[in-house]
Amino acid sequence: MAHAPKNRKSHPCPGVTRRSFLADTGMGFTGLALGAMLFRDGKARAASAHEVPWTPSDGRAHFTPRAKSVIWIFLCGGVSHLESFDIKPELNKYAGKSIADTPYKAALDPEKVNKNVIGANPNHGNRKVLMPLNTGYKAYGKSGLIVGDWFKCIGETCADDIAVVRSLWTVHNDHGAQLTFQNGRHPREGGTFPTLGSWATYGLSTLNQNLPEFVVLGSPTGDCCGGAWTYGAGYLGPQYAGVRLNVDPKKPLPFLSSADAAITLEEQTANLGLLGKLNHFAGVDYPDDKDLRARIKSYELAFQMQRSVPETVTLESESEATRRLYGIDQPHSKSFGQQCLVARRLVERGVRFVQLFHGGGGGGDWDSHADIKAGHGKLAAQVDRPIAGLIADLKCRGLLDETLVVFGTEFGRSPGSQGTGDNAGRDHHPNGFSAFLAGGGIKGGITHGATDEIGFHAVESPHYVTDLHATVLHQLGIDSRKLEIPGRKRLDMDHGKPITEIINS
Amino acid sequence: MSKSIRRLVIVLVLATWVIGMPCAQATPAHKAAFERHFDRFLTRNLASCSTCHLPSDKKDPESLDDFPHNPFGDALHKAGEQLKRGGKKRDISSRLALIASQDSDGDGVDNLTELLLGHNPGDAKDTPTSAELQQAPTRRAEFAEYLKLYRWTPYEAVTRPAVPQVGTASFLVRNSIDAFVLEQLQPNGLKPSPEAAKVTLLRRVYLDLIGLNPTPAEITAFEKDVSPSAYEIVVDRLLADPRYGQRWARHWMDVWRYSDWAGWTGGNQIRDSQPFIWRWRDWIVESLNADKGYDRMVLEMLAADELAPDDDANLRATGFLVRNYKMGSREQWMEDTVNHTSRAFIGMTMHCAKCHDHKFDPVTQEDYYRLRAVFEPYEVRTDPIPGMSDKKKDGLVRAYDKELTAQTLFYIRGDERTPDQKKGALSPGIPAALGGSLDINPIALSESVAHPDRRDYVRKALLAESRKMLEETRAKFDPVKDNEKTPSRQRSEAQASLAAVRAKHESLVALFHVEEIEDAGHKKTAEWESAAREALAAQRRTPVADATQSLISAQNAAYEIRQKLAPTTQPVSKTVADKATADLKALDAKIESSQKLLATAVTDLNAPPDTAYKPRSTDDYPATSTGRRLALARWLIDNRNPLTARVAVNHLWARHFGQGIVPSVDDFGRNGRPATHPALLDWLAAELVENHWKMKPIHRLIVTSATYRQSSIAQPDGLSRDPDDIWLWRFPSRRMEAELVRDNVLYCAGKLDLAMGGPDVDHSQGLISKRRSLYLQCAPEKEVEFLQLFDGPNTNECYFRRPSVVPQQALALANSQLVIEQSRALAKELSRDNDSPQAFIKAAFLRILARPATADEVEACGKFLIAPELKPDRARENLIVVLFNHHDFVTIR
Repeated sequence: MAHAPKNRKSHPCPGVTRRSFLADTGMGFTGLALGAMLFRDGKARAASAHEVPWTPSDGRAHFTPRAKSVIWIFLCGGVSHLESFDIKPELNKYAGKSIADTPYKAALDPEKVNKNVIGANPNHGNRKVLMPLNTGYKAYGKSGLIVGDWFKCIGETCADDIAVVRSLWTVHNDHGAQLTFQNGRHPREGGTFPTLGSWATYGLSTLNQNLPEFVVLGSPTGDCCGGAWTYGAGYLGPQYAGVRLNVDPKKPLPFLSSADAAITLEEQTANLGLLGKLNHFAGVDYPDDKDLRARIKSYELAFQMQRSVPETVTLESESEATRRLYGIDQPHSKSFGQQCLVARRLVERGVRFVQLFHGGGGGGDWDSHADIKAGHGKLAAQVDRPIAGLIADLKCRGLLDETLVVFGTEFGRSPGSQGTGDNAGRDHHPNGFSAFLAGGGIKGGITHGATDEIGFHAVESPHYVTDLHATVLHQLGIDSRKLEIPGRKRLDMDHGKPITEIINS
Repeated sequence: MSKSIRRLVIVLVLATWVIGMPCAQATPAHKAAFERHFDRFLTRNLASCSTCHLPSDKKDPESLDDFPHNPFGDALHKAGEQLKRGGKKRDISSRLALIASQDSDGDGVDNLTELLLGHNPGDAKDTPTSAELQQAPTRRAEFAEYLKLYRWTPYEAVTRPAVPQVGTASFLVRNSIDAFVLEQLQPNGLKPSPEAAKVTLLRRVYLDLIGLNPTPAEITAFEKDVSPSAYEIVVDRLLADPRYGQRWARHWMDVWRYSDWAGWTGGNQIRDSQPFIWRWRDWIVESLNADKGYDRMVLEMLAADELAPDDDANLRATGFLVRNYKMGSREQWMEDTVNHTSRAFIGMTMHCAKCHDHKFDPVTQEDYYRLRAVFEPYEVRTDPIPGMSDKKKDGLVRAYDKELTAQTLFYIRGDERTPDQKKGALSPGIPAALGGSLDINPIALSESVAHPDRRDYVRKALLAESRKMLEETRAKFDPVKDNEKTPSRQRSEAQASLAAVRAKHESLVALFHVEEIEDAGHKKTAEWESAAREALAAQRRTPVADATQSLISAQNAAYEIRQKLAPTTQPVSKTVADKATADLKALDAKIESSQKLLATAVTDLNAPPDTAYKPRSTDDYPATSTGRRLALARWLIDNRNPLTARVAVNHLWARHFGQGIVPSVDDFGRNGRPATHPALLDWLAAELVENHWKMKPIHRLIVTSATYRQSSIAQPDGLSRDPDDIWLWRFPSRRMEAELVRDNVLYCAGKLDLAMGGPDVDHSQGLISKRRSLYLQCAPEKEVEFLQLFDGPNTNECYFRRPSVVPQQALALANSQLVIEQSRALAKELSRDNDSPQAFIKAAFLRILARPATADEVEACGKFLIAPELKPDRARENLIVVLFNHHDFVTIR
């Protein structure tokens, strides 16, 4: 898939004349002469080029990309891998037994359990009595992918489109791991580090002229667990952070519409027209002012966004069949279905990275320490149809080839039971858990890596969460090492390695 | 240095580290100095221990016997001894100068030539080829040129460089800054720009020094003043203006990581920083306004509790340490403290050495843990303040040493799970490469510091509260207990309630009496004995009164219920009856327990008098502080510390010019970016120290320089030769910081509240509050959205802000309640005095952009105002909105 990068940063332009300034930026607030989408290339990046053998990203892919956009679905709280995409029949066989009394007692070796977990919250972990599966399971599609009944729509619709990675691990046993999942760092290191979405938008220039490049939908992680950092840009600077949109055409974005409802479109247009004129007068004295050029363009984009953003989140124009496909017709899946549909519309309109949260706030809705049967059952019903619908819809519109969909969560849930009886749940489980990917050059209908027989440890091809990041960036055509900022040395662990086994050659 | 040369240097530096040392290591400081001396002229094979040493297989050589010199190393070593005997400076350059023309290894080629051609001067088998030797004269000449350049040695104490003598034909050299800048403009083929227009300069210096536009009256006055010192007069006035402190405090709050407390909003759980830390912010503002020396500020921030433990006003300064509080992880807390103390004050990235010796700078992994040991004992606490009896509601939050013997262990590979037990506890220390040492002396603290809850004003506040309670109770019960019409049961209950409160109050009075005697040092005297006996007696009376009260109250309640259930009254429903029965049962139980309590209390009351009163529960702290932090702070501000003053003036420069002389303001190491004007930086650092570290003289020097006063308008030569204005051929324009955008919208409309100090304003009030933005809450997850859109401070770290231009800023300025409301107010105000559209337009430009409107602008705006679809008032409001969105509004030109 070759997509010529459309909007390119022009080179710093010594010798810009007054006349060229006017020609480059267009006179007044008129049509969009966006030959060079400069708005994000302010002074900061140009200045850093001084005498250092390093140049900021020029917005071009480093090698042929396989995907254009990413939809990064994150389920907050910790989805049970054991009952979704890494089914473990042994749990039924040994249900009620302590792990120590099963053939898998080696899993409890404290050295193994604590190997990667740093600063553990002692309240979590150490659940030894195995809990049977709380849902049935079935093989789907030609690939025979086994999926828990809670996610049967995904199984039925997309089994042959997705690649399941069953061997993820992470470094924290509490919900700060939600931040880790996005930026690869231990939660206590806070929000200094850029998240995956911000790396993608920093590395690649925009594909559109009227929407932000990195959009966040749904209720994000709570302030316990990273909050706004989970879609922040850390040291890359706030222009690369995700922009939160609400699926509400009336107020999708802060300050999107005027605080004075009486201001008409004509007035706004007149205001921006005058502003454009005045800024151009100023530009005559400062023809080389990159910030001024960027600002003029930012006003044009802002003005476009005032119309395009509400339009994007208005779903009335979608057919009844499409709405059904996403589960919008059902009360329980309506909300997430709408978000998935908006995600597709954003991608269609050239948004690079959509981060979709489900169940955010506090530790996260999926945090089923108790009554996992009811909890997970209810939550899965909210997302199963919408996610299956999204993948199917992208596929039938021919967008799945260039859109990479990722389904993830901060950690899995423990094979051992927390509590007993009807009220039993599963605890946090950082040692082994699953995610799946679809589209964007990813192989369909395969599984990669494995946990042990009770789903405790990632034993075959284990991957730290940044390997998912590396895979995504690789599909976007980015070599993260080429994006490094001087003075911000990244560790090998930060970069991760692409999971080549699931990538179409 | 040209770009390509710098590039080469970095490649070489990196290459050195990639190759690394196989076994034994040369003294790292010597090796680094050697590399610095030759810089890009040293080839990668010579950036090695083997340039001076013979191969050795010893792993950790402790002496030259373990790791002997080769002939060149030997000569270099002896040159050092020779210089030492002569009482001369024996740095690497002087030593090399002595032996440059010698041929230490006797292979027929002198040492310098061999070094410059990439051959080992201590190895006779390694000689240059004849082809290479032909290059030698050129190479030597280039190196000689290079040696003439100013040698910037950031790890050596500052020596004030001579001010260059430069031609002044076309450019007024107003002070030494200009001479240094001009010295570097000329070789780069650049000419300085003329002075900026008066109005431009005025707005620039106002925004820069006090963060606010000049008013139209101030503009007019300045334009009228044609005296040669008109500008200097303005500068002096602005530096004396308290708004200067508010403006520059925000810069330093960035560097020092100011953060209000953060945590889980649901549970009021404090996870980062602490409540009441705003007092530190106020201390910063006040210190800047008083022009307290930077050295003193560093001392107080790191160790006010050790420097002057009884000085509450300056204890606020330790907010710098308090801010690092981290509920979840002491490890991260310590890591943040080491990391940010070193980056803020000496521009060193010590945190890199948490896991391994620093790859670029002279810091070992052990240095990291020794610096951590300085902070290991410290904790945070909240002390009571006068007039407040509850520390949860308000108090003085501060640092102190809690664990005086806390041990710091060396973590193998930086992993807290693998402390190096063999190495044992590390003593506090600083990186040897920076020179000096820590002079640590434990500090004895006064009773008042160790036992703050026993201060007089605490007792006063508690007594006042207790007295108030007593008065209130009395006011409530007095009318009842003396009123004949009130049933006697109620009267006795009122009496008992009052008695209970009074007993408590009397007990407090008696207790405080003993405390005062004890605090005066009169324990065990007769006076004390009698007071202690009285205190115990009062404490014994309290439970009697309490039990009596609860007994009477329960008896009354039970009586009431029985009355209701009496057969004479109306029958009640079953639910009511059942509840009554249950209540009665509970009350009977309470009566019984109260009777028992009363009996016990009476027995206690009748016990023989004694002095064993029950002391008050107080927070008590160690009576000693380790003195470690004070020693560190004194080392930091020692004039011989090479980095502190350089880093400080660089911060000042960076905020005046939008870029530091060392652009990586928090990293002066080899992985940071090189200084553009190293001699100027050193000169300014020397100037700072000589001015007793006072910052106002440095500000004055900078903003009155001709360099600062240049126009920011482009010149073709400058643009083509130096598009990024590295050499300062013009004043670099920049965007206002977030706080200035918000403050000036309010200020231009005449609505900004300039009040100083006080608790942070909730972040949800960002668009409503009229306070200056530095007083708005600023903590992770509790930030003002409007400010964040304009790249407001990242509370985690914010050594330098990088302004972005994004469409959300356009939306915020065009659509927010803040801008629309202020625009209306301003339009109304300006219309009052300016009837004609032209007058209105001119007044609006002067107020918002602080400059007159041009004819083109007046014309364009005039057309806008007469647009037929709008009422004139509305069009005027819209014009103001447009001006607040003008690029010139958010830009400092």
